[in-house]
Amino acid sequence: MRAFLFDPYQLGFMGRALVEVLLLGTLGAVVGVHVALRRLAFVTDAVQHTVFPGIAIAYAVGWPLLPGAAAAAALTVALLVALTSGRRRVDVDSALALIIASFFAVGVVVVSRRTGYAADLSALLFGRILDVSRAEVIETAVIGGLCLLVLALLHKELVLLALDRTQAAASGLPVRLLDAVLYAVTAATVVVAVRAIGTVLVVAFVVTPAATGRLLARSIPGAMAAAAGVAALLGWIGLSASYEASLHHDVRLAAGATVVVAYTVGFAVAGAGRLLFKRS
Amino acid sequence: MNAVVDSFGQHFFRLALVEAVMVGAVAGAVGVHVLLRRLPFFVVAISHATFPGVVFGSLLGVSLFAGGAVVGVAVALLIVALGALRQVEDSSAIGIVLAGCFAVGVLVLSAQPGASRDLSAFLVGSIVTVNAADLVTTALVGVVLLGVLAAFHKELVLGAFDPGGLTALGYPGRALDTVVLIVVTVALVVCVPAVGTLLAVALLTVPALAARQWTDRVGPMTALAAGLGAGSGVLGLCLSAAFDIAAGGAIALTATALFAVSAGFSRVVASR
Repeated sequence: MRAFLFDPYQLGFMGRALVEVLLLGTLGAVVGVHVALRRLAFVTDAVQHTVFPGIAIAYAVGWPLLPGAAAAAALTVALLVALTSGRRRVDVDSALALIIASFFAVGVVVVSRRTGYAADLSALLFGRILDVSRAEVIETAVIGGLCLLVLALLHKELVLLALDRTQAAASGLPVRLLDAVLYAVTAATVVVAVRAIGTVLVVAFVVTPAATGRLLARSIPGAMAAAAGVAALLGWIGLSASYEASLHHDVRLAAGATVVVAYTVGFAVAGAGRLLFKRS
Repeated sequence: MNAVVDSFGQHFFRLALVEAVMVGAVAGAVGVHVLLRRLPFFVVAISHATFPGVVFGSLLGVSLFAGGAVVGVAVALLIVALGALRQVEDSSAIGIVLAGCFAVGVLVLSAQPGASRDLSAFLVGSIVTVNAADLVTTALVGVVLLGVLAAFHKELVLGAFDPGGLTALGYPGRALDTVVLIVVTVALVVCVPAVGTLLAVALLTVPALAARQWTDRVGPMTALAAGLGAGSGVLGLCLSAAFDIAAGGAIALTATALFAVSAGFSRVVASR
């Protein structure tokens, strides 16, 4: 057990990967409870796809990836607000599908103009958690800390808004501004996570532990704590399992995907427990 | 431009053109039901969730289409079942299944050395490598799907607008819902060889959304969406040949451009 849980992390790159997974897991869990309350899972999914062209273009011209991803995420949120406001015939879901499809297509076209197409594409799609540098871990910690601080300061207002929008507006809260803050925090979370996890699996970090936390605890802070705990524990186990299988059993398991599978199994166990508990 | 003219002389390009027209038309028509029932997130989820099926199909040497279809239908039913849990709202259920299934696909692939090239073909499609057998499969499946939609047209449209009324009239509402989900899933799987799992979402939503800008009536909307889908396929393929870019991306971008034109036009007409 000790060899399974602790030994791999004496290697520098595994230690950094573990810190990154724990940071992202905690951040995703807390943000995720808000996302679940507001039913924003599709927005999260949309942002994770639309940052892809930002990353692809930044990569193609040799810039750092984070500003490219952030610009694409900001553009997505702006487009979403523009397409769905006013008397147009586009509902939120359709607007998101349209944005996803067009942005992702741009990303594919940009990447396909380069040589070494397949390998680059895989790196962008699936992330490279085992390659995170020290500077990137610090970036994650700073941005994640800011996001958590904003959520903590606005906790009461955001929860009221999620549960009773009319009441929130009536008591004088700036409803639109709070919406924008939550979108921005969600987008920032996706952007910092994308580099490590890749553009397709990020949604798992935001949605799955939060859903598990909500199965385990009744109150909102309780669900956040449970979600963060589950995310940290399963992230650790997933990373260890990927290392163990790859090194000792000759089955190469992609690290990010193993963590996501661990999250999903955790959710399935919690859901099954919930069903059994209800029956008895 | 010469590159496009030259391409038409080549056998593989003509095959790709036929595939693009069929896939675009079927996806466009099915897409109208995706819009009516607000299923775009479901489509995104299935597009990712069929991925492990495609991977298993490739590893076992059976048809990718069969693998994707089997897993896709299973996942559609799983989403319906998860949505019945009271603590998990629909969009979270879809998100969990989406990411979980995709991760399984990535894991299985990562355990297979040297698989990353095939992977990209599934993700972004490779329409220029379709063969005659693929065309026959697409044609048959497309006819069946359009046949189902035509046969149940009245019931499906009523169910989309007024599910309570449908049940009150004695129709099996839940069975019809499941039929729509399965039709959408199979249509998605048909698109995969042409544009890949991720851009198939574009063909299943954007042409229908563009057609919606021109008309409120479901029948003409379906015909128009099929036409716009087929048109996106042809134009996108030509653009891809002319500028040497990925065909799947070019087709999706063409569809988006058609939407932008349609939305602009409807705005001009509405402001009169």
